[in-house]
Amino acid sequence: MILALGLSVIFALVVGIWAARSRRAEAVILPLLDIFQSIPILGFFPFVIGGIYGVLPNFVGANLAVIVLIFTSMSWNIAFGVYEAVKAIPQDYIDLLSVSRASGWQRISSLYIPASLSRIAYNTQISWAVGLFFLTASEIIVVGRGAKQQGVPIPYGIGVGANQFANGDFGDYALLIVGIVVAVIIWRYVFLREFALWSERYKMMEEPREQHKDPIMRFYSWVNHRAVSKLFLLAHDVGVSRFTSTIARFGRGIKYAVLISLVIFGLLLFSSVAHSGGPMPSMPSLSLIASDESQVLVALATSFVRVWYVYAICVAIGLPLGIVISLSFRLYDAVSPILEVISSIPAPIMLPAILLIPLVGQTPEAVSTLVIMLAIIWYIIFNVMAGIRTLPADLKELPRVYHVGWWSAWRNVYLPGALTGFVTGSITAIGGAWNALIISEYFTETTGGQTVVKSQVSTGIGKLIDVAMYNSDYVILTLAVVSMTALIVMFNLTVWRRIYHRVTNRYTYNR
Amino acid sequence: MVTVDHVSLDYHKEREPLPVLVDVSLTAAMDELVAVTGPSGCGKSTLLRIVAGLIKPTSGSVRVLDSEVKGPRDDVSMVFQNFVLLPWRTALENVMFGLGSRADLTDEERRAKAENSLQITGLQGFESVYPGELSGGMKQRVGVARALSTEPRVMLLDEPFSSLDDLTAERLRKEMYSLLINPQTSVQSVILVSHNVEEIIELADKVVVLSSRPAHVVGELKVELPRPRNKKSDEFFAWVDRVYSLLS
Repeated sequence: MILALGLSVIFALVVGIWAARSRRAEAVILPLLDIFQSIPILGFFPFVIGGIYGVLPNFVGANLAVIVLIFTSMSWNIAFGVYEAVKAIPQDYIDLLSVSRASGWQRISSLYIPASLSRIAYNTQISWAVGLFFLTASEIIVVGRGAKQQGVPIPYGIGVGANQFANGDFGDYALLIVGIVVAVIIWRYVFLREFALWSERYKMMEEPREQHKDPIMRFYSWVNHRAVSKLFLLAHDVGVSRFTSTIARFGRGIKYAVLISLVIFGLLLFSSVAHSGGPMPSMPSLSLIASDESQVLVALATSFVRVWYVYAICVAIGLPLGIVISLSFRLYDAVSPILEVISSIPAPIMLPAILLIPLVGQTPEAVSTLVIMLAIIWYIIFNVMAGIRTLPADLKELPRVYHVGWWSAWRNVYLPGALTGFVTGSITAIGGAWNALIISEYFTETTGGQTVVKSQVSTGIGKLIDVAMYNSDYVILTLAVVSMTALIVMFNLTVWRRIYHRVTNRYTYNR
Repeated sequence: MVTVDHVSLDYHKEREPLPVLVDVSLTAAMDELVAVTGPSGCGKSTLLRIVAGLIKPTSGSVRVLDSEVKGPRDDVSMVFQNFVLLPWRTALENVMFGLGSRADLTDEERRAKAENSLQITGLQGFESVYPGELSGGMKQRVGVARALSTEPRVMLLDEPFSSLDDLTAERLRKEMYSLLINPQTSVQSVILVSHNVEEIIELADKVVVLSSRPAHVVGELKVELPRPRNKKSDEFFAWVDRVYSLLS
């Protein structure tokens, strides 16, 4: 994990600074970052694992593959943070560097890196949680079957621990959960918080120190998870407005996006097949593609519906909860640490436990729903809370000043006030839901080379991908991942971006 | 009209009670504009919120029109320094929000009252405009319109002009003053919190000066200058000096 984080930070610094300082780099890098951030990570899984593990079919290869995957989940977000931080540096400081004829390295070390530090700190907190999710997911993924089985044999890891539970090891599992909670708490409160506070020193802007600054910083990093949302939320800064015009250009590049994806997948596909020693597969026939694609589309449609109804449930619970908690100082102080800890437990870990819940555990649809919910409801809750907490106190007091009833208060003040946070949270939540599908729709357990299916929904894109990985059916796999990616990217562009524009224009409180 | 009777307020943070206001008393009579001033952060806004019924004093009481203030009331209205308008509602809707507590009114009546308020504050024609599209001065006018919509007897102004540029503030001061003393509006007493001494001498009948935290009343002055007040006269400067000397 730490290796991946280190890699991510380095990558982010290089890419982010480059993009912020060079117009041409900016035009190319930012859309790429956005694409990569939108592609559901778990779509990368089979290819990265196949590719790397194929080359190094051993302990090193397995860990390397996992690290690369976690890297892909964390780096884009941090890179965006660096980009924005550098973009936001007041021109005066940059002029200062020119005037004092600072060398390239001096500029980087004395200005760009410190300027980015606080953003890296914020974004790391969220990226960490995301990374954990994929870590546990990747540790239990099984690729291939039988003789060609390439389950990732990581001897130690929390995902593996979860798997053991599936084999009936209750004691270990309980210890595992406790261990994770403790580790998360320690990690969060000792390391990440210290890092964030230390990097406060390097902030360029002066901000009044509030008591509850710490949680707000964390919420902002949750908020930063999605590229689109992050950009428009920080629309006070000069640097970002230049970015939005890049996004406009990017709108035209949707074909571009799919093309790149196809190329990448093609490459990885070839590499993994080549290294697994099998014969080079011939290009599948068109009719095969067509029939497979229709299967994919059905699965996609089902999953689409699934994502949205789970989202609806999360909204029904999360939106009012978020508002209520954040309106009361006492509630907030009491409840939010608990929420943070629970939300840090990566959902894949909970899978084995969920399977044991009476009734729910037997119903695959319910299992899937619950897993997705556990993964994404936090995005909504925390973002709504952040939205409400950034509202000025006077505004929140308005219903009391005019002693209007509770319905008027919610309709006129609290709900609209939460709206920007809610939209941001929704964008992130839906993205997370798509990723969670791959874990929630199909869950297997491997004992001594034998893989048993513990829970699967009737149909869904996540299941399709899992099954295709298991059967080494590369045609379906590619089609499925590409279709899913295309859908998500197009949806982001057309729906989310418009909604976000509308909402921020009307509903941001800026006096 | 308004009687602040030996009001004290302590903040309870981490066991040790922190005194903010200590034994503050003042009165605002009918047709009187009382200004409350003091060093930054001394608690003048807090005092105003106690009068508004938003904060309960640790000891002492506030009476408005002979009844004790136990919470926000329709006959006491407040205008804020930062306007505090709902950015997602039009000017008219913002004013109507002020009437939200009046269950006895129909929607039609509420709308009519709100339109009337906007007209009085010079915003006729701007009913369907959103706060984001309004200038600072106009936003504050909406704030005033909202405060006036419930036909209050007491108006509380919390540094209403500090967020405006000088020219706008100048204009709005004059307009607000004539609005408030106008017998056709319901307002009969005004308490103005400000740290702008010139503004205070221009507008107030009486000035109450608070000390820095924990705040107590340092002095009270009845400003005896004929209206309209000439800001360039020697007497004016003399009064300003008197307030400054109480402040230091």
